[in-house]
Amino acid sequence: MDYDVIILGGGVNGTGTARDCAMRGLRVLLLEKADFGVGASGNSSGMIHGGIRYMLSDRHVTALACRDSGYIQRIAPHLLFRIPFLMPFTSRAEGATLRDRAAWYATEVYVGTYDLFQPLKHGKPSTRLSAEELYRLEPGLRPGLRGAVTLDEWGIDAFRLCALNALSARAHGAELRTWTAGREILAEGGRVRGVRFRDALTGEEGEARAPVVFNATGAWSPALARRSGAAVPMRPGKGVHLTLDRRYSNYGVILSAVDGRQMFVMPHEDESIVGTTDDDYYGDPDDVEATNDEVEYLVEGAASLLPGVRNARITRAWCGLRTTIYAYGPNEDALSREHQLHDGAAFGRAGLLSLVGGKLASYRAQSQEVTDRILALLGRAPVPCRTHEEPLPGGDEVPDPAALARAHPVAAPIAARLVYRHGGRAREILRLLEEDPRLGLVLCRDEGILAAEVVHCVRHEQVRRLQDLRRRCRLAVGACAGLDCARVAAQLAGRELGWSPEQVRAELADLLDAGWRERRPILDGAQLVQEELVRGAHAAAGAPW
Amino acid sequence: MVSPRAVAAEVLVVGGGMAGTIAALAAREAGARVVLVRRAPGATALSSGAVGVAPDPFALPGEPLRAARGPLEAARRLARLRPDHPYAVLGDRLEALPDALAFATRALAPLLAPPLERPRFLATSFGTAVPAALCQRSQAAGDLLAVGGALVVAGLAGHLGLDAALVAASLERYRARGGPPTFAVEVDAGLGELGLLRPHELARRLEQPGAAEALGAAIRAALPAGAGAVLVAPVLGLRPEAQVPERVAGAAGIAVAELLADVPSMPGVRLQAALEAALAAAGVEVVQGAIQGATGPGAPIAAGATEITAARWVLATGRFVGGGIARRGTLREPALGLPVQAAEGREAGVDLAARPAASLTGAARVGPQPLLSAGLRVDARLRPLDARGRPAAEGLHAAGAVVGGHEHASDGTGLGVAILTGYLAGRAAARPGGGE
Repeated sequence: MDYDVIILGGGVNGTGTARDCAMRGLRVLLLEKADFGVGASGNSSGMIHGGIRYMLSDRHVTALACRDSGYIQRIAPHLLFRIPFLMPFTSRAEGATLRDRAAWYATEVYVGTYDLFQPLKHGKPSTRLSAEELYRLEPGLRPGLRGAVTLDEWGIDAFRLCALNALSARAHGAELRTWTAGREILAEGGRVRGVRFRDALTGEEGEARAPVVFNATGAWSPALARRSGAAVPMRPGKGVHLTLDRRYSNYGVILSAVDGRQMFVMPHEDESIVGTTDDDYYGDPDDVEATNDEVEYLVEGAASLLPGVRNARITRAWCGLRTTIYAYGPNEDALSREHQLHDGAAFGRAGLLSLVGGKLASYRAQSQEVTDRILALLGRAPVPCRTHEEPLPGGDEVPDPAALARAHPVAAPIAARLVYRHGGRAREILRLLEEDPRLGLVLCRDEGILAAEVVHCVRHEQVRRLQDLRRRCRLAVGACAGLDCARVAAQLAGRELGWSPEQVRAELADLLDAGWRERRPILDGAQLVQEELVRGAHAAAGAPW
Repeated sequence: MVSPRAVAAEVLVVGGGMAGTIAALAAREAGARVVLVRRAPGATALSSGAVGVAPDPFALPGEPLRAARGPLEAARRLARLRPDHPYAVLGDRLEALPDALAFATRALAPLLAPPLERPRFLATSFGTAVPAALCQRSQAAGDLLAVGGALVVAGLAGHLGLDAALVAASLERYRARGGPPTFAVEVDAGLGELGLLRPHELARRLEQPGAAEALGAAIRAALPAGAGAVLVAPVLGLRPEAQVPERVAGAAGIAVAELLADVPSMPGVRLQAALEAALAAAGVEVVQGAIQGATGPGAPIAAGATEITAARWVLATGRFVGGGIARRGTLREPALGLPVQAAEGREAGVDLAARPAASLTGAARVGPQPLLSAGLRVDARLRPLDARGRPAAEGLHAAGAVVGGHEHASDGTGLGVAILTGYLAGRAAARPGGGE
């Protein structure tokens, strides 16, 4: 056999499991049909939260998530940032009804119970705010609120979390192939024996052999399983988020959508995120776009407490597919957020494991559980898991941005973005400037992207396509939509990867296509003006003459 | 409270980009007293600075560059294929295109190079070549068909903005179609640390005494044998009067041309400056300010501290960047509240205003996007039409990107439409009934 285990899917569960397996000495091949995190992981809310939503239904999901949130802070301290949330006390009528008061009391008890879990993730305990305190903290809230309770959560760049797990796996000997789809899981005599795959960029097809295959392809896994003679029951749910061009609130605000569902507006890095929808999805997972009605639903909900959001500049509408556990009957919201591991033995596919459900915040624990199962399937002796102890790449230190800015020709805010994305590896990136000062060029002032960061990511972070840089360093995802950065980044990546001029232009077009799909439903106001500029600036790249 | 200064004119032009300026100059030439009011420099300043009139839709891929049709024939072909495009809407008036282009060349005489029968093929920083009906003198020498010898793409040592090797390798592919052999060189102009400068900062640096000459000398030193012309990044100065392109070429001893660039493009900035100079030379009064309280031609409107009354107006307020068309939930024309009903593609002609963004766009980025081609619907005389298809107001004309039916920023016809419609609208406004 070529490998001990083949992992299909480069989301947070695939990369997390690849890391764990590789750290425990297994020979690992990971196949990802596109790039790390492109599915549900990267398009999640970007929170390492403790899952307060699940406290009533799946209490141990909350416990698991909180404990693991603490571990993730330990292994990737640079990539996490605190987001305190407010849960305002609202009432529909003038003056609070008894029912309102009961609801507020319940909220306090609810958040108070969550406080029991907070120490696990180094969160601060909740506080009760009077109306006056609430408006002092968050003046943009609509009038008439009675106060709030707070709760503490953590945000993260989920794309980078996936990439860092992948890079760590690679450093421990795993082989990673992006833009390579597992086409079929091969079986023989009731057991899996490998995977047939195809490289989407080179067209190369091949077979890799392993006694265990872990299917972590998320919303794609039912189709893959079906093609391979097995079944994975799942209820995929589409979740849409909006990005606003700046912070529209100081704190995260939890609020109700028009249908009473819980949603949120939260500051995330330099922007605000509004989320999320949750609707059953029966369509093609490769062709999922936010629609105007979803955008309007989110704006209406957000504006119910933060009226300023009505005038906000929306820069993107992005979506992913939750891989919720199958159940017939409940509404989307009421579906369990637990995870399940399906064994393919029942379908004559012993050695096939498929993961359904689970949360970003618990990825590490889920990966640990899967790795334990893989070791058992291989008949290996248990090896202790260390993924909660060993830092992810760059996580061993969080350099002081101000000190970096003094030592290198970069501005402190740029250094801060670099540290946030790369932790201790920011030093390596800045060292590139010593050899080539040109790499100090700031390609994007929105996101603080240095030319050196692009070069570093292309060299060291498994970049095969230009659009991979959307996820490694937020190339062309900001409000500017790639106006300044896209062409120069394409040139830099092309030079590093030996692309022909035609390839450079094709990659540039592909990058712009990806942005277009996210902006199409939200083009309005200043963002529409920007779209006109971006189209004009790049028209000549696609010139057919 | 300062009482507003009252100004009376025969023609009021709203908008100071290419369309508005050409309209004002054309009306002025026809003898009218003209006032131009502008809020800010036009979106023309963000263009490449060269004028694309019409990419020939029937051109065959790979056909010799020399086979390219002139701008009028290309525009006629485009009009046949795209019935919503202003070239098609204008009908017979499209035939005025050569006159309009000649008029613009005269008006912007020192900046623009004389037009040829055929388009010039100008290289872009993406390594493609695009057809331009008009271009600046600083761009003309890069015409792929005009280079006698090899074309040398010169990158600036110490700056990443232009990948000369990539552009040269890409342009080499045009050889089969009659283009020149291309080479890349890197020149060190000794201008100090350039690495972190943005295009406009580089342009300003090159305006300093001696800098353009140093760059020219460095180019001369780096030239391979057989070089016929040199292409450089479009950063040769911000002000036309600084004469950076001429100084660089003089010191280099060879024709030097600027590539066409993305935004921000210094030739675009110089084009805008030349428009302003032409207005001043022609005696057009320019009022700076946003117009307020506009109801239509004949009624006074306020712009800053000036009150302007004119019986005939040319609306040349641009599209989204210019602010002539805006979208806040619904599409609207902010100056006069005219209906936004023109677009290109499947949504053309329907009431666009209230449709959601996704309904006005297609999933494929390239290809017609009704939302981005949205604007005013006009008749063949460039009179904006109301919802029932009748002229919206007496004495009102529209020109340039505020007219819908084309994607002015990206379909290669934007400045061509601006010049033609500006020329026609300006003349029509100056001579009501006269020959129109």
